[in-house]
Amino acid sequence: MFSEQAAPAAQGLLAPPSAESPTFPRVPVSGYSDCSQPFQLGERSFSRQYAHIYAVRLAGMRPGLERCARSQWGNDIALRKLSELKAGEKCCVVGTLFKAMQLQPSILQEISEEHNLVPQPPLPKYIQPSDELILEDELQRIKLEGAIDVQRLVTGTILAVYGSEQDDGRFLVEDHCFTDLPPSLPWNGPSSDRFVLLASGLGLGSVSGETLLSTQLLVDVVTGQLGAEGEQSCAAHITRVILAGNLLSQNTQSRDTINKAKYLTKKTQAASVEAVKMLDEILLQLCTSVPVDVMPGEFDPTNYTLPQQPLHRCMLPLASAYTTLHLVTNPYQANLDGVRFLGTSGQNITDIFKYSSMDNYLEILEWTLLAGHISPTAPDTLGCYPFYKSDPFILTECPHVYFCGNAPHFQSKLLQGKEGQRVLLVTVPDFNATQTACLINLRDLTCQPITFSGFGADNED
Amino acid sequence: VTYKWLSYTLGVHVNQAKQMLYDYVERKRKENSGAQLHVTYLVAGNLLQDGYVCHKVAVVREDKLEAMKSKLSPITSVHVYSIQKALLKDSSPLYNTDYDIVKSNLQHCSKFSAIHCAAAVLRTPPDAPRAPAQSAPSHRDPSAAGVVNGHGPPAARPPPQQQRGIMGMFAAKAAAKPQDTPKETKAEAKEAPGVSATSSKPPIKNNIMNNFFGKAAMNKLKANSVPEQPKEEKEVVKPSVAVAEPESSPSSVAEKPGKKTESARIQQKDKRSKMKRTGGSDDEEERDPESVKKKRKRIKQLQSDSSDEEDVPPSPTAEEERAPSPPPVPALKTELEPASTEGSAGGRKRKRKRVLKSKMFIDEEEGCMGKTG
Repeated sequence: MFSEQAAPAAQGLLAPPSAESPTFPRVPVSGYSDCSQPFQLGERSFSRQYAHIYAVRLAGMRPGLERCARSQWGNDIALRKLSELKAGEKCCVVGTLFKAMQLQPSILQEISEEHNLVPQPPLPKYIQPSDELILEDELQRIKLEGAIDVQRLVTGTILAVYGSEQDDGRFLVEDHCFTDLPPSLPWNGPSSDRFVLLASGLGLGSVSGETLLSTQLLVDVVTGQLGAEGEQSCAAHITRVILAGNLLSQNTQSRDTINKAKYLTKKTQAASVEAVKMLDEILLQLCTSVPVDVMPGEFDPTNYTLPQQPLHRCMLPLASAYTTLHLVTNPYQANLDGVRFLGTSGQNITDIFKYSSMDNYLEILEWTLLAGHISPTAPDTLGCYPFYKSDPFILTECPHVYFCGNAPHFQSKLLQGKEGQRVLLVTVPDFNATQTACLINLRDLTCQPITFSGFGADNED
Repeated sequence: VTYKWLSYTLGVHVNQAKQMLYDYVERKRKENSGAQLHVTYLVAGNLLQDGYVCHKVAVVREDKLEAMKSKLSPITSVHVYSIQKALLKDSSPLYNTDYDIVKSNLQHCSKFSAIHCAAAVLRTPPDAPRAPAQSAPSHRDPSAAGVVNGHGPPAARPPPQQQRGIMGMFAAKAAAKPQDTPKETKAEAKEAPGVSATSSKPPIKNNIMNNFFGKAAMNKLKANSVPEQPKEEKEVVKPSVAVAEPESSPSSVAEKPGKKTESARIQQKDKRSKMKRTGGSDDEEERDPESVKKKRKRIKQLQSDSSDEEDVPPSPTAEEERAPSPPPVPALKTELEPASTEGSAGGRKRKRKRVLKSKMFIDEEEGCMGKTG
């Protein structure tokens, strides 16, 4: 797709200088609209409890779930609240899942450090066979057992279970269902090839410098300096670049300066200052040539709780002089050329990965889409703003492209929904580790990874 | 020598630079001059990796070129990336060369690229007080469509941008600050045009520095520091702005001149610096004669103008009336006079405290602002 058009003119530049070199105009921006207003927080007040989020989430997703339950198990099933349950009666209940995990890091256990108990080290996964699932609705909670995969599900999911209450007070589940894909948006995609480049995890400011050449190659390809003429003309079809988080590397966090004595850290600068300057230069090179959307990630200087607010313009003085730079929130939703994009910088997927037995990032991504919620674990194990009016993470419309950043590998899949929805799921790999970015063709919703490499001292290919 | 370095240095299109490099290599090789040239190539093509058809872009040494070419099935491009005399161990010198040349040409880094983006125009400055002061850069923006600007506007752009970013942060604070000193803001607003009109890089730099301690010293700062800067030209423009109530933008502009004046004082102090803190008194004394002289003059003039006697809020308006009048300098001094008399009423002590404090701020500022300045 990207490459076929370029192939014919491949060797063109292995020749004496020609009289003039063509320049290609960048495909103009048409139909961009930013739809991430629900993720932008205005006045923030943290004086509320988080219980409201769950209440709102349940209230918001209940109608959809009831509809799905009826379609799956028949129109005449009984929908009950937990308080109305009768023993032995087959019915369907809609509620929030809570997974009681023994290994889950708990603040109380951290406080127990005072009692000289060993604090829990961070683990890759916190699941254990002894975890239990509990279903909660507005008033009560009940333990679940039966045909339900305890390991796979995570806290905060809203689902409908079908079964009956046992005599011992537990609910025996025969079947369960999620909201499934939300209704799809009309397709207004472009008729000619338009590409969007997705990259994440640039990891600037890291100790190793090998990826700097790859980053430079990426910028050069997008700005049209690299490659033969065919490739450059293809690159002119890249309408947008989305940087999905983790622009700075983890090394810039320098959290241990809190523990050091003040006199040692007095004149030192945070490592992120240099990294942000580098980022500014790279963004400037990109912005002079292509519209860029910058999403903050886990290690970027913005707030920690989801939804992360855009990076501030004053940090990028050189690049923000251009109108082509857009600083956007994480999660990010936008309409590009009639194609709806929705994606995050990966914190939600990583969190689910830690608390569920699902190993494949693409699988988790698909599961969040089916469960109808971008980040079910949000207030529980992932920091979140205490919403109380509405939960913006509920998926109400089906995006055309759904991506998550900072995944370990590149994966993509075109998902077909029951009602004809077509979603391209993309896990964008961490550029710092894999030197790979993704090119999405908006015309036919296909995705191609693009890898960059230089040569090192131990180059073996 | 990479193709990008050549392109910037010679001012040619990148494709031509690549072709030039190739041509050079071919000719040298034909001549067989004995000087060993090592060439690196850029190869791009499709590769099957992990089950996905992956587009690979790689910089390879000449000896690995054929191996890489055989791995890629449709090859999309091959061209010379760089030429060097010595064999490269890894690609970091290539990166460094490119990095240096791009850094020195940051403002028009897409000039020689093969792709031109019509949408990449500079942002027009949004706030009104900025517009008159920077009317020169702003009118360049409409003409910037499709072409990256030359040195001028982009050069002027980052400092005002920085300013604006930082100013934006302080504008909010300024708006929140109790506007119980409207006279200060107005008097300083009058100063704003005068000082900002002649803004060039060094004052801007000082201004940024001052932004940090300006707000802290703001409360103590009276406009009597202002008289040091007799710049009056843009008064006519700014009175209209000053009349506009101290909302966020005028107040931010107002803060700016306040700080600029601080900067002026600091500049003078810096020039005479290397003195101990206790030597601040010397500063005062040196500065005072001129200001005292000015004050003397002003007092006389003040007494002659009865309209200035009462409360200061009307004074800016009175000053505005006088602004177009012939002697702008004494007018400026008179307008500052009411504020300065009250300031000087506090006496040296306050000034000294202020001096010391701002000096302290400068030291800290130098420490942490040194790089960004």
